[in-house]
Amino acid sequence: MTRAVRFPGFNVRSQSDHWDDATRAVIVGRVNALPAVRFFTPAEEAAAKCLLDQLVDQRTEPGSPRVDLVRMVDARLAEKQTDGWRYDTMPPDGAAWQQTLAALDEDSQRDHGVGFARCTWEEQHAMLEAFRDADDPNWHGLPRSQVWNLWTRYAATAFYSHPELWNEIGFSGPAYPRGYKNLGIDRLESYEVHDAEPGDDPMAGGTE
Amino acid sequence: MSDVRDRNESAWLLTKDGSRMQHGLREDMRRFDDTDEVDAVIIGAGAGGGTMTQRLARLGWKIVTFDAGPFWVPEADWVSDEAGSHNLYWTEPRQIGGGDPVPLGSNNSGRGVGGSMVHYAGYTPRFHPSDFRTMTLDGVGADWPIAYPDLKPYYELIEGELPVSGEHWPWGDPHDYPYRPQPVGGNGELFLRGALAAGIEAHVGPVAISNGRFGNRPHCIYRGFCLQGCKVNAKASPLITHIPDALAHGAEIRPDSMVTRIGIDELTGRATGVHYIRDGLERFQRARTVIVAGYSIETPRLLLNSTSARFPNGLANDFDQVGRYLMVQGAPQTAGRFEAEVRMFKAPPPEVSSEQFYETDPHKPYKRGFSIQTVSPLPITWAEHVMAQGRWGGEFRDYMSDYVHWACLGALCEFLPQPDNRVTLADEKDRHGMPVAHFSYTRCDNDRQLMSAATEVMERILKAAGADEVMTINRNAHLVGGARMAADEQHGVVDRDCRSFAVPNLMITDGSVLPTQGSANPALTIMAVAARAADRLIDRPID
Repeated sequence: MTRAVRFPGFNVRSQSDHWDDATRAVIVGRVNALPAVRFFTPAEEAAAKCLLDQLVDQRTEPGSPRVDLVRMVDARLAEKQTDGWRYDTMPPDGAAWQQTLAALDEDSQRDHGVGFARCTWEEQHAMLEAFRDADDPNWHGLPRSQVWNLWTRYAATAFYSHPELWNEIGFSGPAYPRGYKNLGIDRLESYEVHDAEPGDDPMAGGTE
Repeated sequence: MSDVRDRNESAWLLTKDGSRMQHGLREDMRRFDDTDEVDAVIIGAGAGGGTMTQRLARLGWKIVTFDAGPFWVPEADWVSDEAGSHNLYWTEPRQIGGGDPVPLGSNNSGRGVGGSMVHYAGYTPRFHPSDFRTMTLDGVGADWPIAYPDLKPYYELIEGELPVSGEHWPWGDPHDYPYRPQPVGGNGELFLRGALAAGIEAHVGPVAISNGRFGNRPHCIYRGFCLQGCKVNAKASPLITHIPDALAHGAEIRPDSMVTRIGIDELTGRATGVHYIRDGLERFQRARTVIVAGYSIETPRLLLNSTSARFPNGLANDFDQVGRYLMVQGAPQTAGRFEAEVRMFKAPPPEVSSEQFYETDPHKPYKRGFSIQTVSPLPITWAEHVMAQGRWGGEFRDYMSDYVHWACLGALCEFLPQPDNRVTLADEKDRHGMPVAHFSYTRCDNDRQLMSAATEVMERILKAAGADEVMTINRNAHLVGGARMAADEQHGVVDRDCRSFAVPNLMITDGSVLPTQGSANPALTIMAVAARAADRLIDRPID
């Protein structure tokens, strides 16, 4: 399934000359200078990559954006850059990731005879669907909803910090020092692009 | 405006372009030695501590104000980027639990000079007169040992110093703001349109962004990154509204210094100063007065960790009041989908609010109420909103691609103070060996009813504005309480002037002293309470 381009020709990074230095450095670093994986073991890295890609529907198709989610999450865990809290029913974030990735592999071995990363896209998807639909509030001794919260929180934060995704959703990115001149409904800056598929309401689209 | 400059020159102490403090103000800041007995140490340079620092420096006190985080230089340290702003939050380890655990960090906890006001939206409503007497009026919550008229003059002063812009405010004690309302973006426009169609009153403001230049602070550029720290210096935080004036009056700001314990003289029972860690070394700063302003999690944590023979259960905790009655506001967010492009990321998130449902409605089964405001989440926060709906994978990504079509409102519901919603010390230790805070929270029935009622009103507004679909997630906002003021030591930690009952030279001047929270964002009230506490030191000195 290829996703329709809703903002044709819109490219946030074409405006980077208008960003301030500190912001440009952070975003360029995020796109071009991610450190190598150092927190996850290779087995954890493999499972984490597939899990994160599944959560945001990132497939390896020519021409579609590739965000290196596993390195972004690995960097946060290596640097202990947490959200500033954890549930008292969960281990600290780093240990929680390691424990849940191992558990995911365990489920995969049980159901498919191979680790999560060796499963097909469809099998991985079905496993996560089953994880979501299960009635048991516990999963491998951890609260299921809090495991899901951990995974999705890290995935969403990494994915939508990437300018390729800002292009996909029509977000104009950094806006300092220039700011915005045209506030209000249906009003655009000169470099912004209207949605080419405004009727593409996901709720009306029958994806339920 | 000149009267503001006479009592607080901060906005005129920035360079002409408003980008930074004037040369020398920071570099040549007065510095005290640990062995100097200063008049006061203040722990935390946020809303309460920043205000206190400026007020006491103006009184001629020798002040050292500690902050665990950096002394920010907005142009160099802050970015116009969501994920890159993570360092603005308190991200040291903390545990959450209870029936309805409350996430901390970006949601409500700052770190560094300016405190949480560096990343608050900028809404600065006053509390209503009823907020100070909820037990008498409604049989819930608590009565404060002060009343609205005690704070009113300080609300007026602080509104001038931030300064605040907005329309005439008809709710609570009706009042005007020093600056005219800001223009609104797509989200504010839809809120105003929907409210009008639904017969609900809404107004632009009150927001601590001046409409026009203020001193040397520039005009807002409407870039929408208020929650990531205002690089423009248009949005108020103590870093630019109170710290510059404090420095000009001889205060020292000591950043990157974590206070771990308050010292006590076992013979006299008086505070002697603070133990703190800087550059890996433990140190002790002597002081005649200790003023705690670490906010609702760190203030109780510090008191509980400050044990001694006189206070074996924590400082000023003889009656097991420290850490209790901590409150958050229920903050459901309802988004509406429009065929048109709203682009809510353009313009500041704080635009329009309604306090029509703030007070107890005798026709409803619940007590107290809620307010409604524009919130305008940026993509990462919006993604969390969509994922909290249970969406993931392709469906989630499709929703996200629809971002420009959504408007988003948030409610602030007055959750009630309860003794078991509290901070305690966990077994886990931080890297300094100090026990981390555990925050337990469970909602009561009244809390849940308010959230449903607020959600219903927000859906009504968005549908009246023309939304074809709406979706709501439940979340929380703000923190207050945890070391509340009360009439006596069996019901609180400090008195009406923010002095602790147990230790004569120990004060608390932050959000943790608030006994109730109303449906108002707390920053303005925290500053007003601190400004009043400073004034009270003139009339009623510490012996």
